[in-house]
Amino acid sequence: MTKESTTPLVKNDDGSLIILFPKSVYSLDAVKKASYKFTDSCSFLINEQNTAYEVLCKPTADIPSKALDELVNSFCNEVLDQDLRERIASETHAVRSLILAQAFSKTSLLEG
Amino acid sequence: MALASTKFKDLDFFNQSLESGYKLLPFNFIKLDDSRYVITNIAGEYLVITKEDLYAVANKQLCPGSPVYNTLKSKHFIYDDDSSVALELLALKYRTKMAPLANFTGLHLFVTTLRCDHSCPYCQVSRQSEDKAAFDMTPEIADKAIDFTFQSPSNEIKIEFQGGESLLNFEMVKYVVEEATKRNQTENRDLQFVIATNLSPLTDGMLDFCLKYDILISTSLDGPEELHNGNRPRPGKDSYEKVMTGMQKVRELLGPDKLGALMTTTKDSLTQAKPIIDEYVEQGFSSIFLRPLSPYGFAIKTKSFDAYQTEEWLKFYKEGLDYIIELNKQGLYFIEDYTALILNKMLTPFGTTYVDLQSPSGMAISAIVFNYDGDIYASDESRMLAEMGEKRFRLGNLLQDTYEGVMLSDALLGPLEATITESMPMCNDCGFQNYCGSDPVYHYATQGDIIGNKAFSGFCKKNMTIMRHLIKLLEDDPEARDVLLSWVRV
Amino acid sequence: MLQLHTTKIECLTTSSEEAFIARLSENDQYPLPLRGKEIFLAPETHSGKLPDGFRAYFILRKNLDSVEANQDFPNVFIIPNDQHYLRDGDVIRFDPKRIKLHTLYRKNSQHNSLLVTERCNNYCLMCSQPPKDIDDSYIVQDLLVAIPLMRRETEEIGITGGEPTILGDDLIRILRALKNYLPSTSVHILSNGRNFANIDLARKVAGVKNHDLMIGIPLYADISNIHDYVVQADGAFDETIKGIMNLKRHGVKVEIRVVIHKQTYERLPQLAEFLARNLLFVDHVALMGLEMMGFTKANIDELWVDPIDYQPELVRAIDVLARYNMNVSIYNHQLCLLDKRLWPFNTKSISDWKNEYMPECEPCTLKEQCGGFFSSALFKYSDHIQPFSESEMPTKNAPQPTL
Ligand code: SF4
Ligand code: SF4
Repeated sequence: MTKESTTPLVKNDDGSLIILFPKSVYSLDAVKKASYKFTDSCSFLINEQNTAYEVLCKPTADIPSKALDELVNSFCNEVLDQDLRERIASETHAVRSLILAQAFSKTSLLEG
Repeated sequence: MALASTKFKDLDFFNQSLESGYKLLPFNFIKLDDSRYVITNIAGEYLVITKEDLYAVANKQLCPGSPVYNTLKSKHFIYDDDSSVALELLALKYRTKMAPLANFTGLHLFVTTLRCDHSCPYCQVSRQSEDKAAFDMTPEIADKAIDFTFQSPSNEIKIEFQGGESLLNFEMVKYVVEEATKRNQTENRDLQFVIATNLSPLTDGMLDFCLKYDILISTSLDGPEELHNGNRPRPGKDSYEKVMTGMQKVRELLGPDKLGALMTTTKDSLTQAKPIIDEYVEQGFSSIFLRPLSPYGFAIKTKSFDAYQTEEWLKFYKEGLDYIIELNKQGLYFIEDYTALILNKMLTPFGTTYVDLQSPSGMAISAIVFNYDGDIYASDESRMLAEMGEKRFRLGNLLQDTYEGVMLSDALLGPLEATITESMPMCNDCGFQNYCGSDPVYHYATQGDIIGNKAFSGFCKKNMTIMRHLIKLLEDDPEARDVLLSWVRV
Repeated sequence: MLQLHTTKIECLTTSSEEAFIARLSENDQYPLPLRGKEIFLAPETHSGKLPDGFRAYFILRKNLDSVEANQDFPNVFIIPNDQHYLRDGDVIRFDPKRIKLHTLYRKNSQHNSLLVTERCNNYCLMCSQPPKDIDDSYIVQDLLVAIPLMRRETEEIGITGGEPTILGDDLIRILRALKNYLPSTSVHILSNGRNFANIDLARKVAGVKNHDLMIGIPLYADISNIHDYVVQADGAFDETIKGIMNLKRHGVKVEIRVVIHKQTYERLPQLAEFLARNLLFVDHVALMGLEMMGFTKANIDELWVDPIDYQPELVRAIDVLARYNMNVSIYNHQLCLLDKRLWPFNTKSISDWKNEYMPECEPCTLKEQCGGFFSSALFKYSDHIQPFSESEMPTKNAPQPTL
C-alpha cells in the first residue's frame, strides 16, 4: 500500500478487503486481537497509517459475498468488543491486583 | 414516607453514597448470541446481559439502584462508594476456586503392563505379546512409584491401575496394593485403589482380593454390542460378552457402587448417541461421560481435520445431552459427566481437579503416570504421545530422577507456566476463561505447539460451543435448567 | 404469654434488702447452710409454717390460704398469680425496695436467653427490643452471679441485647462464665456482627472455646444500601459481612438470620444466591417471619406484607439455599400460609413463653406441627389463616420442594 486509503471499507477484486480503523477510536491491540480471533477464516496484514490502522484481510477460502459481509460485520464488532475489553482491563487493573494479592495473602478461612 | 418518627432515616438517605458513581470490577465477556453477552467476574460468576447493557455498564451509564445495577453489584461486577466488601469476598472466592491446585496430585496411574488381549485400533500403547519381561512393571519400579506417590502432599491419594490390560499383570496389582496399604499405616492418607480393566481376565480370586482392599473397578463400555465389539477387537470377537459377565460378577461381589465405566468415542460412535446412552441406562449406571474423540492415533493431524472432527463430535454431544435431559424429565436421575463438571465450575464457588479443565494445565497436578518401564508422564495422553515417538511430555524416570527433580523439571514447569488461561492469547480475555482450561498435549498433537492458536483449536471450539449451549439452556429452557441444576453438587 | 417481669408484689413482713440474684427452691428440707442464698418458693402442696433460714419467701397469691406466714421472718412476699410458672431451680433478680421481680432463667425451659445490654449500634426498623442508650453495665454483674446458679445440664442459653458485642471484654467474661459453669451448654448469641469486623474480637470470642457456640447474625439484603437502610446504619453491611468472615476464620459457627418484611422480601432470591456464592460456609440460614414488637408496631406500614404474598420469593430463596446444600430453616411462620413445598423447612421456633394461637386455629388439625404466632401477633396477622381439617393431614410422603 503506497497511498493512504480513505474509504473505511474497500472490497478488492481478488476477494480481499481493506478495512480502516481510525486511531482516534481504536487501539492497535484491539485490532490485532480481533484479527487473531479470525485467523481460522482469514489471513491478515495490518498497516499503520497517519490516522488509521489499515487491515488487509484475505479470506483463506472462497466465501459467498453474503457470508463475507457477515464476516466483516462480526469482525468489526469484535474490534469494538476488544476495545471494550481493553478499557475494562485497564480500568480494573489496579483493583484486580488488589484482589489477587488478598487472595494469596495469609488470612484464609481455613486457618484458625 | 411512613416511618414512625424522625429517628428513622428513609432509603434515599442510604442511597446518597451511590451518587458519586460506580467503579468496575474485573470481568470478561463473550458473545452468547446476536443480542446477548455472557459476562464473568474474576471468581467465575456469570450473568447474561444484553449488548446495550454491557456497553452501558462499561460506559458508566447505569442508573444507580436500578434492578440491573443491583444485580451487577450483587454479583460483583461493579462496586460503589457504599460498599467495598466486594473486594474481600472476591479474593476469598478466587482463593476457594484455586484451592484444588494446592492439594495437588491426588491421582497416580500405575501402568502394570502394556500387554493386552484386545487390539483396539485407537489405542497407541498396548502390545499383543507374551513377553512379560519386556512390558511388565517390575517390583523395583513399583517400589519407586509408591515412594513417589507418597511424596505427594495431597491427603487424598488414588492409585489407578492401567494397561495395556492391567489385570494381565495381576501379581503387580496385588503387590502395589499390599505395599501401599502397608505404607499407609504410617502415612494415614485417604488411600483409594481403582483398577481400569476390560474385565476379560477377571477371576473370582481377583474379586476376593478387590473386596478385601475395597478396590473400585473401572471398565470400558463403548455402547451396544456391535459398536463395542467393533471398537474393541479381540480373538473370539466377544469383548462385549466378557464385559457383561465381568460387570455382573463385580456387582454381585463388590456391589454396584464399586463399578464404573468409561466409553471411548470413535468415529462409529458419533451416529449412535442414543443407543450408547441406552446401553448405560440398561446397565444400571447413573451417569455417562460423553468423551471427545481423541486426537491421538489419527494419522492425519491437520488443523482442518481437527475442526471437522470437533463439529461431528459436538453434534453427537448435543444429541446425547438432549436425550439425557429428556430421560431426567421422565424421572430418571442420569448425569452427563462433562456437563456436570462444567456446571459445577459455573455454578459453585469451587474449582475442579479435572485435568482438561484446569488452568494452568492439570498436567502432573491432577494426575501423574508411572509407565511400566519407570518413565513418568504428566498425563495418560502424554504417555500415548510418547508411544507415538514424541517424548516431549516425559518428565523423567523413576530409576534416575527424584520427586523434586521431576516436579521442578522444565518438561513440567514449562507447559504449566505457558498454559495459564489468563495469559494465553484469546483465552486471556475470553468470557469462559474461568470454566475452561488448557490441554497442552492436545494442542501439541494437533498444532505442534503447546498453547495453540485457539481460533483453530478443536479443544476451544468444543468448550466454547458447550458452554454457550449450557448457558442458553440455563437461561432459556426452565425445564432443562431444573435438570441441569440437579446435577450440581455442592 | 408468660409474664417474666412483675411489680405486683406485696411484702408481708419487713424488708431492707438491696436488689439481689437468687435461685428459687421449693424444698423445705433444703440443707440449712445453703438456705441463706436461696428464695423459698412455697409449692402448691405446702401448708403450714414456712421453713426457716431462707433469704426470702415467695407465696403465690392463690396459695396464700394454706400458708402460715411467720411474722418474725423478714422478706416474705406475695407474688401475683401470673408468676405460677416459677419452679424450683429457676433464677431470678429481685429488688425488694422497688418490688421488681424479673425471671432470668427457667430450669425447665428450652428457651432461656440472657439480655446482656440494651445498647446497640444499629437501629433496625423492626427492632423488637428497641435499644436504649443507658449505662446498664450492672446487668453483666448480675449475670455473672446468676450463671453459676443455673442447672449444669442446661441444653442451650441464648445471649441477646441490644448488641452484646458492645460489651467488649464484658461479653468475654460472660462467655467464660458460661464455659466454666455450664460446660456442656450450647451458647447462641444474637449479634448484628458489625463489631466482629475487628478480628481481635472474633479471636477473643473463639478463644473462650464455649461448647457449641453459634452466632446468629442478621443480613437483610444482598445490596449494601438496602441492608443499611433496614438497620439504619451506614456502612453496616460491609462490617457485618467482614464480621461473618472473621468469625468463620476463627472457626466460630455463624447463623444468618433474615427477617422477611416489605423491605426485604423482594430480593430474597437474590440474597439466597448471594449467600450461596459468598457465604456458603455459614452453618445455618434462618428465614424468619416478622415479630410485632417494639419498632415494628410503629413502622408497620413500611414493614407489613402478608406472608401469603411473599410465598413465591420464599420458595425461590429456599430452592437456591437447599440446592447449595445450605442448612436452612423457616422460622415464625404459620403452616396454613406456607407453600406446601416449604413445609419440610418449617421449624417451630417461637419461644414457649411468647407462643400463641389465634381463635381461628381452634379447630385446626395441624396445630401440633404449626409454629403458631408470637403473642404480639394479635396486633396484626394475616387475613388468610385457614385451619386444616382432618382430610388435609399430610401424608407420609409430604410434598418435597422441587430442588
Ligand atoms: S480455550 Fe477457547 S473457550 Fe477456552 S478459555 Fe480459551 S478461548 Fe475461551
Ligand atoms: S390455623 Fe393451623 S396452621 Fe394456621 S396458624 Fe392456626 S394452627 Fe397454624
